[in-house]
Amino acid sequence: MFELLEHTSDVGIRATGDTREEALISASQGLVSILVDPAPFRPLEERYFKASGPDETAQIINWLNEILFFFDTEALVFVQFEIDIWTAGEITGRARGERFDAGRHEFRTAVKAATYHQFESHPAPDGWEIRVFVDV
Amino acid sequence: MHLEKIDDYRWLIPRTYKAGMLTDALVYASEPLLEAIRRDQSLEQAANVAMLPGIVGRALAMPDIHQGYGFPIGGVAAVDEQDGVVSPGGVGFDINCGVRLLSSNLTLKEVRPKLRDLVQQLFRDVPTGIGQSSRLNISDNDLNRVLEKGPQWALEHDMGSEADLDHTEERGCIAGADPHAVSARAKQRGKPQLATLGSGNHFLEVQYVDEIFHEKAATEHNLSKESIVVLIHTGSRGLGHQVCTDFVAQLDQAMRRYGLHLPDRQLACAPIHSPEGQRYLQAMAAAANFAWTNRQLITHAVRGAFKRIFDETVRLPVIYDVAHNIAKLETHSVNGKKRRVLVHRKGATRAFPEQPVFIPGSMGTASYFLLGQETALRETFGTACHGAGRVLSRSAAKKGVTAKEIQKELESRGIIVQSLTREGLTEEKPEAYKDIETVVDVVHGAGLASRVARLRPIGVVKG
Repeated sequence: MFELLEHTSDVGIRATGDTREEALISASQGLVSILVDPAPFRPLEERYFKASGPDETAQIINWLNEILFFFDTEALVFVQFEIDIWTAGEITGRARGERFDAGRHEFRTAVKAATYHQFESHPAPDGWEIRVFVDV
Repeated sequence: MHLEKIDDYRWLIPRTYKAGMLTDALVYASEPLLEAIRRDQSLEQAANVAMLPGIVGRALAMPDIHQGYGFPIGGVAAVDEQDGVVSPGGVGFDINCGVRLLSSNLTLKEVRPKLRDLVQQLFRDVPTGIGQSSRLNISDNDLNRVLEKGPQWALEHDMGSEADLDHTEERGCIAGADPHAVSARAKQRGKPQLATLGSGNHFLEVQYVDEIFHEKAATEHNLSKESIVVLIHTGSRGLGHQVCTDFVAQLDQAMRRYGLHLPDRQLACAPIHSPEGQRYLQAMAAAANFAWTNRQLITHAVRGAFKRIFDETVRLPVIYDVAHNIAKLETHSVNGKKRRVLVHRKGATRAFPEQPVFIPGSMGTASYFLLGQETALRETFGTACHGAGRVLSRSAAKKGVTAKEIQKELESRGIIVQSLTREGLTEEKPEAYKDIETVVDVVHGAGLASRVARLRPIGVVKG
């Protein structure tokens, strides 16, 4: 589950899940929903994600930035995410989606990056919650 | 927050406001603008900027200030070259986002009948680069040349002139740029996006000179009443975004080693003379050169589109091209002493005396052409504001209005818009921003830059 948070120039994502992994997958889906209308995308192509960092915050931000990297370089939009391993140093996983096609797909807003600004990741009463703001 | 009023345009956040501030923060705003500014966290962020190690003079906030990520947008900070820090967040993700203005030998009367064709041609010839690649398809070697030399590369490929460079800040090339400081990922993101406009608040507008406030200056810059101009607003695309992302992460780590602490991780910084700080400045310069080349290549495409719709006699010389997301080493006089400082301008435009300054309004409203003034050099390290500044969040802007309605409303005012996305229209609707007139009043009234001409759009191309 995710909801988008906004004030003035900020766009944020508040994502929740039973586990930290599920919350990150929700955050990933939230980010995709800022970029495009995700509904018509199919899981046709797969890419490996590797997000290393000195702490959980950096790892989560780097994971989300993988989505932006593949959109800019291959026009890939992901709709399915899987986290394989989350160690103290990195998250590895996979994402599946298809290439953006202006004829069939709706682009919404370009996102430059996920940021550390007002970032939160912590256990919540019903599992885990991540809050991240992106620069659009 | 209590602000000390200095005069009608200047407000002070004293350094005693919160622990850690090393200097005062000075806000340029009128009373009504201040009311809008207070609605978000931007003043708190301006106070945080006053904590940057090595900050010289005051932290500054321009009248279009709004909440950013760490640094406010519309924030300026100069730090000592020897003891100061460089902060990628103080430049922003879109390194050398900036504005270029072209004048022309066409008039409103000549363009109006062919406007729809012109806007469609521009939309075809200047790709947004969203989910599509640039038509350039350059080699890795060429990309490195762009990063190192800037628009000089475009000249070598017959896509610009020396005169274009003469009218570009730094002639489009910051010395010390090192393509090797730019990560492979940043190059991968940027390469397919060179010569593309992007989306969000980036745009290309065909405008006409609506009013002239300073006849002599206008004539000197090839502007006359109802002459046509073209305004290009874009930056370094994914390449710059990735450079910022890479270095915020690296400097976030380096800060701990250098014993630096700031209230927001997005303000990550490192001493200018540290290996990390130097590396960032080399990469930032490369991204800035990429952005100037991007605006040069778009200029080339715009010239081609105009020639196709009109004829070969159309001329579109560059009036000026100025960055508004950048950090630059400059010499400034501080308390009567010459100091070498690194000026961070995040959503703020350099405004040296007599230098052209462009302040674009929101879509469909006016833009302003001003000239920098001595006061800016004395008070703001030669800086003025860069735009109108958002007041509505994107979702608030979208509420109760459709893209079609906005398009129709603009057309009823004689403005033809071509946008790749519906969001490009609804999120950027005129009411989403502060009133450009009130922002320009402050800049002009405070003496940072003086009004030369008001420009009104008739054609808009955006992502």
